[in-house]
Amino acid sequence: MELKILHFYPDLMSLYGSYANVSILKRTLEELGNTVTVERVDLGGDADLTHADFVYMGAGTERAQKAALLYFSKLGDAVKAAADAGVTMLFAGNSMELLGKTITDDAGKVYEGLGLADFTAVQNKKRFVEDVYGHTDLYEDAVVGFVNRCSVITGVETPLLTSMDMGHGNEGPCGPEGYHQGSVFASQLTGPILVKNPALLKIMVQAVYRHRGETCPEIPVDQYMAEGWAITAEQLKARCTK
Amino acid sequence: MRKFLAIVVCKLGRFVGKLVGKGSSMPGKFALKICPDILRRVQLPPHIIAVTGSNGKTSTVEMIATVLRGQGKNVIYNAEGSNQVEGVTTLILTHATLGGKVNADVLLLESDERYAAHSFKYFHPTEFVITNLYRDQLTRNGHPESVFDAILPAIHPDTELILNGDDPLSSCFAIGHENVKWFGLNRCATDTETPTGVYHDGAYCPVCHAPMEYEYVHYNHIGAYRCTSCGHARPTPDYAATELDLQNGKLILDGQFTVALAFRSIYNVYNILAAYAACRECGVEGAAIADTLSSYILKNGRMQTFTLGQHHGTLLTSKHENSIAYDTNLRYIASTNEDCTVLIIVDAVSRKYFTSETSWLWDIDFDQLNVPHVKRVILSGMYRNDLAERFRFTGVQNWEVIPGIPDAAAAIRDSGSEALYVVTCFSDRDKLLNLPDVKKEG
Repeated sequence: MELKILHFYPDLMSLYGSYANVSILKRTLEELGNTVTVERVDLGGDADLTHADFVYMGAGTERAQKAALLYFSKLGDAVKAAADAGVTMLFAGNSMELLGKTITDDAGKVYEGLGLADFTAVQNKKRFVEDVYGHTDLYEDAVVGFVNRCSVITGVETPLLTSMDMGHGNEGPCGPEGYHQGSVFASQLTGPILVKNPALLKIMVQAVYRHRGETCPEIPVDQYMAEGWAITAEQLKARCTK
Repeated sequence: MRKFLAIVVCKLGRFVGKLVGKGSSMPGKFALKICPDILRRVQLPPHIIAVTGSNGKTSTVEMIATVLRGQGKNVIYNAEGSNQVEGVTTLILTHATLGGKVNADVLLLESDERYAAHSFKYFHPTEFVITNLYRDQLTRNGHPESVFDAILPAIHPDTELILNGDDPLSSCFAIGHENVKWFGLNRCATDTETPTGVYHDGAYCPVCHAPMEYEYVHYNHIGAYRCTSCGHARPTPDYAATELDLQNGKLILDGQFTVALAFRSIYNVYNILAAYAACRECGVEGAAIADTLSSYILKNGRMQTFTLGQHHGTLLTSKHENSIAYDTNLRYIASTNEDCTVLIIVDAVSRKYFTSETSWLWDIDFDQLNVPHVKRVILSGMYRNDLAERFRFTGVQNWEVIPGIPDAAAAIRDSGSEALYVVTCFSDRDKLLNLPDVKKEG
């Protein structure tokens, strides 16, 4: 297949190695025999979501997030239409907050979100920065990662992580965390979550194939990713039991 | 009375602490409990110089202390790196008379960027050097703008700011502040036309988020920037490195003062520049500063040399979780042009706290090792798989994984005699240096 990944605001929403989620997805899809094009969408740039197979945005500073929202909300109808059409999307870090109804900053100013989901985000001066060891209904393996957030998100009915043994979730410690509806995935877990969690990468790849009406072939195991996940999971699990 | 008691308790605590080898923050903690505003009540020296920022704090403070002491000034500073308010209190009170007069010409403080506002609640620096603001220890700091927001309340209107004009973010501290002196590096031969590195924190203006343009770039997003909309731009420096020849280790300050560089890194240049600017503001002549800093070798142990088998090794220590520090060390290796092996160790991400967070590896430009003279790259430590996956996305071909640090050292020892560079963090350096086959120098 010829597949297109839309990477929104790669220079602005780029904290914590966010780009690596696109890199690993592209490589995996290519290893399965596909031709993959990554189209950067810079701030203020237009984007055609109708032919996208994967839409991605990473994490930014709170001020960068507001700049991203200013332009991304102009594409709100197109994003909603693509979501309805089953295009796979991942919003990592605080780009997740763009999908909700409102974002309230730490000074109390309210920003309108895309309204793709029913949640609201309220940002605080205090940040929650910690490792994450959690669980999702999508697969058995633990979800590992790191959270670096300053917001409380309320109103998520369908979280990505249903529980957490370690980490700060949408509304407080120990989850639930993130958002998942159909082919739209969002998580405040920062950085290369698809590299750290091979099982979540597999879910994304399968969703891309499903949207195309194709059967997803067996995804080869990447030794470094698998062992990296195992070591991190072991370290974090041991920490949870302390 | 409380002031007197706090000073006595602090002095006694410090004395006992030194005897039993304890750290320097506890006496200050007790003193603050006895007299919370003790730092307002003491008589401080005429110059209070604070240094903060993501990188270069310790080195800059060391250099300032050396220069000022060379000028006969009595300088006290937190050499042990206790850079939060308790450690600062210990430092001040142990050098105070029982009446509360601090016996020094200069109080020099390395200040933790997140806690500066707390440290300067009851007094403020006369000169405040902010070296830079980069992505640094995001597991603790959030991100550079949150660090900016944490430092901002620490800046008193009467304080003179000494800022890095080449850094688009930390230069924003000058907005609305009258008393600012700038340091910066003018265009030099090793510059690029556009930002380098994996990510581009200079892509958008930190003030208005319009695109930024660069006339030249020294490294990453540090250089001559200009916002296309609001005009936020590199200022003309008051104190400038006007010529830099890293290859031959020569730096010229303000067109007339030559410094011979002991460590030929652009990082070192910025630390020298910051120290130069601060010392000039304290009235020291440029020639005297250049003389003192020429061939100055830092005492902070970040560059340790050693032998391992037939290899002469250099340990390039930088914090894990600090991609620009890594980039600078990799750039140094790339600039050496001598055949070498590079050992990268990520075993414990931090020496101060637990984390398994390795996102920062993706912010490092490991492609700088994709040069002919880097013959072999070995990835080792607990997080070698995360390193390996990162390397799969570079053009570097000759890398391998050796999980155990002793095994990696043995493999190097048993083969070849090329130079060896070890890139790692304070948390992991001794795991190599303490191996029996490793013979430390100096």
